[in-house]
Amino acid sequence: MKRFSQRRAVHIARVLLISVVFGLFCAGTAWSQRIHIDITQPSFQQISIAIPDFKFLSAQSPQLARQMAQTLGQSLEYSGVFRPMDPRGFLEDPQSMGMTAGEIRFHDWRRLGADYLVRSSYEVRGEELRLEARLFDVLSGRMVVGRVYEGESRNWQSMVHRLADEILYAITGERGVFDTKLAYVQVKGNAKEIFICDFDGGNPQQVTSNGSLNLSPSWHPNGSELAFVSYKEGAAKIYSVNVFTGSERLLSGHKGLNIAPAWRPGTSQLAATLSISGSPDIYLLSPADGSYQKLVHSWAINVSPSWSPDGKRLAYVSNETGSPQIYVLDVSTGEKRRITFSGRYNTSPAWSPKGDWIAFSGSKDGRHNIFIVRPDGSDLRQLTHGEGNNESPTWSPDGRMIAFSSTRQGDSSIWVLLTNGTGLRRLTGEGVQEMPHWSPRFRSN
Amino acid sequence: MSRSLRGLAVFALLALVVMSVGACAKKGVPTAPGFGDPAYTGVGEGIGAGAYAGMEDVRWRELGITSESEKREFLAKAEAFENRNVYFDFDSYMLSDPAKRILDEKAVFLRQYPRVRVTIEGHCDTRGTAEYNLALGERRANSAMQYLVNSGINGQNLTTISYGEERPVAFGDDEASHAKNRRAHFVLNY
Repeated sequence: MKRFSQRRAVHIARVLLISVVFGLFCAGTAWSQRIHIDITQPSFQQISIAIPDFKFLSAQSPQLARQMAQTLGQSLEYSGVFRPMDPRGFLEDPQSMGMTAGEIRFHDWRRLGADYLVRSSYEVRGEELRLEARLFDVLSGRMVVGRVYEGESRNWQSMVHRLADEILYAITGERGVFDTKLAYVQVKGNAKEIFICDFDGGNPQQVTSNGSLNLSPSWHPNGSELAFVSYKEGAAKIYSVNVFTGSERLLSGHKGLNIAPAWRPGTSQLAATLSISGSPDIYLLSPADGSYQKLVHSWAINVSPSWSPDGKRLAYVSNETGSPQIYVLDVSTGEKRRITFSGRYNTSPAWSPKGDWIAFSGSKDGRHNIFIVRPDGSDLRQLTHGEGNNESPTWSPDGRMIAFSSTRQGDSSIWVLLTNGTGLRRLTGEGVQEMPHWSPRFRSN
Repeated sequence: MSRSLRGLAVFALLALVVMSVGACAKKGVPTAPGFGDPAYTGVGEGIGAGAYAGMEDVRWRELGITSESEKREFLAKAEAFENRNVYFDFDSYMLSDPAKRILDEKAVFLRQYPRVRVTIEGHCDTRGTAEYNLALGERRANSAMQYLVNSGINGQNLTTISYGEERPVAFGDDEASHAKNRRAHFVLNY
C-alpha cells in the first residue's frame, strides 16, 4: 500500500499552472492559418523548429536555460512532427537575444532554414518558476501562440511538456501525448507482472505483484483503472486494478477462459473472450451487474477485441476460415466483415483513436510485423520489416504513434514508431517486456 | 524467539520429508486440485503432498486400491499417464492419429481408475501471438477432453486450462522445440 501511495505522488505530480493566453489577436490569426498535418502521408516533411536556450531573468537556476530548451526539443522531436535544429548554428547569444517580434531578426532565422522559432524566458524565485514562451512563424514574422506558466520549479519538465503540447496543438490542431503512460507485461522469473511507465519509457512502476501470470493490460477510458488477465487464483480471470490506489476487483471469473479485455469507449462495459459455452467467443460484459451477452460466436476461435472510438464497431481475430484473420463487427447489425486477406496469420488488432486505421500483427515467413489497414480492408501498409518479431500494436491517443513489442534486439521489449514508419525508438530497458497498451490522456485540456 | 525458531526447524524438516515422499510418488507435477498454475508448484506440492500423506489410506481406498502391489501398479501407470503428452500441428487443435492413440491409452487408465480427476492443460509454441494462443490452447485442451468424453470417460472428472504460450518446455527457436511446446499436458489430481 505504501508503494502505491508513493507512486501516487509521482504519478500525478502534475504542475498546477496558470496558463495565460496573451495576444488574443495573434492566437486568433494562428487558428485561421492552421493546416491539417497528416504525418501518415509519405509526402510529409518534418517541420524545422529553432529553440534557442531560454533566457534567465534572475540569477537563480541558470542551468535550466539549456535543460528546458533541450527537453522542449526532445519532446517536439518525439512527436514526429518537428525536427529541432542544432543550436550550434544559431547566430545570436540566447541570453541577449530579443523576446518580441519587433526584436527578432526573422531574416536570419529564415536563412538558417527554420520554419518556427520558440523564444522563452523564465524566472526562478525560491521554489517558484515563471515561464514565458512565444512561438513565432518565421516566414511571416508573426507570433502564433504565447503562454505564461507558473508553478513549482521542481516540476519544470511537466511545464515544458505542456508547452510542447501547446505548440503541437497550435500547428497541427492535435495535442501530444506527454501526459500519457503505457501499461505492459514484464517477465519476473517464472511470473509475469503488470507495469506502467511514462510515454517515453521513463519512470517504470510495478502494478501487480502476485507472482502469477498477469497478461493483457487494458486501460479504462478514465485512465485510472486497468483491466488485466491473471492466473493468480488458478484459472485465467479478468481483474481490474486502480493504478493510483492498487485496489483490485474481479471483473469476470466464468468457467473456462476469461481473457482479452477491452473497455467499450464511453461505457463501463467491456468486450472479452470467454469459453463459458465451450469455444472461445467474444462477449460484452457488464461488471456492474455481472451480466453478459454474446457479440461474436462461431465454432472457431474468436479473440482480441478492439473497439472503434465510437464504440459501435469491434475489430477482432477469428480463425473461422482456418487461419487467424482480422474481422470487423458492426455491433448493432451483427454484420461481420473480414478485412485481412494477405498472409495466413493476422492477429492483435488495435483500432486507432481517430477511427481511421486498424493496426495489427501479421506473420509472413515466420516473422511477425506491424501493419496498418483501413477499417474497410483497403490501403494495407507494412510498418516493420522483419527485424525480429513485432507484436501487440497499441496507438498513442493522438494517433501519431504505435507502440509494440519487438525482439529486434534479443529479448522482447517495448518500441514505438510513427505511423509513417519512421521515428523508431526503444522505450523499455533491460528485461523482457510485452503486451503494451497506451493510456488515454490523463489531463483534459 | 528460540522456540519459534525450533518450531520452524521442525516444520521445515517435516516439510522436507513430506516433499520427498511426494517426489517419490510423483514426478514434479502439481498434485493438489486448485494449484493448477505451475508458478505455484513450489508451494502447492509441499502443502498438497502433506495433505495426501496424512490421508493416504483413505485416498487409496477411494481409488479402489488396497494392496501394495496395486499401489505400485497405479503409481507406475499414473506416471506414464502424466508423462505422455498429446501433440498438435502449428495453429491446429485437430487430433492426429498418433494423438488419438495416446488418448485411447489414457481412456484405458481412466476407466481402470474412474475416481481420479484430470486437469488437461493446453499449450502452444511461441511463434503465434500471446492472446490468440491462449484461445488456441483452450481449444487443444477441449479437443483432448471431448475425445475422452466421447470414449466414455466421465466429463465431471475432467477440467481444462489453457496456458497459451506462457509455459513452454522447450526454449529453442527451431521446429523441434516448437513441436514439443504444442501439446496437451495431463495432470492427475487424486
